Amino acid sequence: MSMEPFNRLVRLAARAFYDDITMKGDNQPKSGRGDNRGMAVVVLDALTRRQWVREEDLAKALKLHSKQLRRTLRFFEEEKLVTRDHRKETAKGAKVFSAAVAATGDGQQMVKEGEEKTKLHTHSYCCLDYAQIYDVVRYRLHRMKKKLKDELDSRNTIQEYICPNCGKRYSAFDALQLVSLTDEYFHCENCNGELVAESDKLAAEEMGDGDDNARRRRREKLKDMLQKMEEQLKPLTLQLARVKDLPVPEFGSLQAWEARANAAAHASGDSSAIDSTKSSQGQGYGGTPMPFLGETRVEVALSGVEVKEEDTESDIKATSMKVLPPWMIKQGMNLTKEQRGEVKPTSKMDESSAPVDDKKSKDMKGDEKSIQDEYLKAYYEALVKRQKEQEALKKMQQESETSRASTSDFSNRVSEALAERRVGMKSKREDDENDDVEWEEASPAGSTGGTYKLADLNVEANASSDDEDDIDWEEG
Amino acid sequence: MFFHITLERNMQLHPRHFGPHLREKLIAKLMKDVEGTCSGRHGFVVAITNVEDIGKGLIREGTGFVTFPVKYQCVAFRPFKGEILEAVVTMVNKMGFFAEAGPVQIFVSNHLIPDDMEFQSGDMPNYTTSDGSVKIQKDSEVRLKIIGTRVDATEIFCIGTIKDDFLGVINDPGAAS
Repeated sequence: MSMEPFNRLVRLAARAFYDDITMKGDNQPKSGRGDNRGMAVVVLDALTRRQWVREEDLAKALKLHSKQLRRTLRFFEEEKLVTRDHRKETAKGAKVFSAAVAATGDGQQMVKEGEEKTKLHTHSYCCLDYAQIYDVVRYRLHRMKKKLKDELDSRNTIQEYICPNCGKRYSAFDALQLVSLTDEYFHCENCNGELVAESDKLAAEEMGDGDDNARRRRREKLKDMLQKMEEQLKPLTLQLARVKDLPVPEFGSLQAWEARANAAAHASGDSSAIDSTKSSQGQGYGGTPMPFLGETRVEVALSGVEVKEEDTESDIKATSMKVLPPWMIKQGMNLTKEQRGEVKPTSKMDESSAPVDDKKSKDMKGDEKSIQDEYLKAYYEALVKRQKEQEALKKMQQESETSRASTSDFSNRVSEALAERRVGMKSKREDDENDDVEWEEASPAGSTGGTYKLADLNVEANASSDDEDDIDWEEG
Repeated sequence: MFFHITLERNMQLHPRHFGPHLREKLIAKLMKDVEGTCSGRHGFVVAITNVEDIGKGLIREGTGFVTFPVKYQCVAFRPFKGEILEAVVTMVNKMGFFAEAGPVQIFVSNHLIPDDMEFQSGDMPNYTTSDGSVKIQKDSEVRLKIIGTRVDATEIFCIGTIKDDFLGVINDPGAAS
């Protein structure tokens, strides 16, 4: 990746220009403890290792107070080194970002379940703007040099005049109005006092004694300064020259970057990974850590292989109607059957059976397929058997009625037990869910109205006989 | 810098000019009105070179004046920063000197006069080198570089310098006379 030269540029610039900047309010007294010089460098360095980053996360990573960090970032925003974005978002929106971060391989933060707050929070994000940094640094160097050079031969400087009486300042542009008819001085418009030319700021401290001498000394000092500057900033200028012809890393706006990073991860993450994570994130964003990919790569993926297309599709379908985990279902909730995960046991089964077999949930796609087939076969048999048992249905229904009443309690208990078994394995949330589903599926025979269930099963059977993926089933 | 540009203007013509020479009268009035004016956008209008088009006149109610939209080409002069100009010194004082390059006024402060030139007050204030070989006084011609312009809506004022290579007096009237 071509990031490295630019990162080096940023680090050099940080050390050259922002090393002794204190990020402090003016009201705070200067003390040894509050001395935070060098913080700017640390923040910039941290940003070179990241792309778009939420400021809270950055603060946490740097062990800084978020206020302090924000002040620093605001400073850098004014310095045009950093672009920031603020937006109001729910916890869910933040998750999209987290997924994007995870996709760029920088994701230390795991997506936590259950932070489904609907409250809006303003989150700030920041990112280095490499293109602008390149320009800003160049401009800064140019200005420094120009200022010294101009002062050196006091050329191209527009003379300023100041009225010693009233302190009013004039520039040489006002000369025409200031010239007096009586003598050869400029006169103040206000008080008619004689104006004096304002001497250059750098010269001011040593002007006083012999004019000639002072001027020479000043020139020497300036020359010295210019020379020092050039040799001290040499690494920076060299780096600038090196970077000159390189393509600038461009992240785009926060939204664009997020979308891109997610899409990249999406397209290239293999199907099983997506399958396994989708239920946990409820977003359908793949969990395989992928380094950030360029735009071209994304395009390729979008027009990519059929299988991948299907996978993404299935994800979307899955998100459209989410199965609530059983532990979330309470007695009084008004939920559709899909949400309870009752109506489509098959759709879940094909996924669930696999993770049950190997808990890693990283099974290969082929494995899954065969398991699916096996399962389907078994299911058909069960179906036929059950059709034979139609006569006994009524009795079973009655049975189910009772079990139905206790379903929610029972599921709670079960999931609790499962959760206990898996303390510290948050990322494998889907296992729980799958297990639960399996359990729910274990008593499917009569859990709902018999006729309805039968019809439903038939539909599913038809769909699955197409030998498609789980897409159609989920629709059923 | 000089430009040859096309401008437009709505001319109001008094009814007494209506007659066989209306067109000539209109152009004469245009020249009188426009030449020598200064706009911040285009600079000084030096001369009208051609009248491209005179549109249909519109009689104004009440006054009888007729408004003609006129399109004309003209030479415009606009000074730019960094431009080298030749100018005639108009006034010299302790703070520097003023010069004119055509319609534009330029001020050169004593800072921007080479260090070896000293101000000499007196009847004819001037800046002179120590050996007296170069003298800047009223009516001297100098070549200067513009280092700043102030452009107002109807006025342009410049700051110049002669503290650079090949700048300074190009003809000394005092020496010639």
